[in-house]
Amino acid sequence: MTPLERRYRLLLLAYPPAYRAAHGKELLGVLLDCAAPGRTTPEVRESAGLVTGGLRERVRHAARGSAWRDGLHLGATAVMAVQLAVLLPYAGSIPLWVVLSALALLAVLRGRVRIALPLALLTGAKAVAIASGRQLLDVTLLPVYPSFLTARPMFVASSPATVAVGYGLACCCLLALAAREAPPRTRSWWWWAAVPFAAWAGPAWMAEGTPFPISLSRMALELAVLGLAVWAARLAGDPRWALAAALYLLVVSTQLGEHLAMLTPQHLAYWGLLVLLTALAALVPYGGRRRVLLG
Amino acid sequence: MFCDMARGTDEVSEPMYYVLTALLDGPLHGHAIMKVIGELSGGRVKPSVGTLYGILERLNDRGLIVVDREETVNGRNRRYFRISESGQSVVEAEARRMQEAAALVMKRTSFA
Repeated sequence: MTPLERRYRLLLLAYPPAYRAAHGKELLGVLLDCAAPGRTTPEVRESAGLVTGGLRERVRHAARGSAWRDGLHLGATAVMAVQLAVLLPYAGSIPLWVVLSALALLAVLRGRVRIALPLALLTGAKAVAIASGRQLLDVTLLPVYPSFLTARPMFVASSPATVAVGYGLACCCLLALAAREAPPRTRSWWWWAAVPFAAWAGPAWMAEGTPFPISLSRMALELAVLGLAVWAARLAGDPRWALAAALYLLVVSTQLGEHLAMLTPQHLAYWGLLVLLTALAALVPYGGRRRVLLG
Repeated sequence: MFCDMARGTDEVSEPMYYVLTALLDGPLHGHAIMKVIGELSGGRVKPSVGTLYGILERLNDRGLIVVDREETVNGRNRRYFRISESGQSVVEAEARRMQEAAALVMKRTSFA
């Protein structure tokens, strides 16, 4: 294998595995045929084309099947990833519930919604119980203090009702998905990488003592994911990403709404950005069309 | 009326138009399509391989082209693409639309 072929093979990783298996050799052949003799590194133009082509192909693959069901599944995945992130810093105190929440996320990612539903119901019930200062199923020392990633006790700024809304919404999505025999698709393992970013309370950008502070890492993650959703929605002209974004926004809005009287301009800017990106994801599929412009 | 005409008959970008035009002469594989596009456009339109295959997949999804056959040459797989009837209609409609748009200018400048 020549160095050029090896480098092209690396760039082809931008494509979804199924597409690579079916057409990877074909693309590689054309790339090598088009390369100047003696060349050992890919042209910048070809490299950029492969990366954007691969990402486009991933979106094209993702836009298959029912947009309604896939949007519900994606929204539930995002909400449940953040629910695991909320529990993660307290793994030292409530390890069983963190593991159950992680198993619920794993089941959702593998498309096993009928397994995910009871796990989500169980962790949701326990989370609501902790938020309301009650004991459920096992004895938990309250308040629950963190082991890492944050310094704040668990649910110190969240009412039981707000916690219940998040879990209730996730469970409703799972219930709707479980009603059909065909399971939803499997989702990317990258969702696991999002969990620590959502859990980390730093870098802090809001004044100390702010009720319900939003960390910079969580905000950056949410904006990046929503930005990808807008891009995918534009590319595929499909509403599934807007539906998922709207479900996630609903959960965040419930949390922010609980502290409406105490929200800072930073909170409002954060909220505004989430609303803007969700609205864009909903509107861009119906945007203007490209046309032929001959020079 | 002009706005309707300028909007086009379908979502066909310039490289897509050239791909469809290249296939009017018969089925071609990816590398050959690339060469023909370069010749037709005088070297101006040169999509990267990633871009070209993205266009081919989208046109295939929309039924404007179909895979005619697959061959293996020197251990390399090749798909030959063929323009479909609807692809031919779309590219002809685009050509007519541009001819009409060009005529608006030509009749005002050539006979001035």
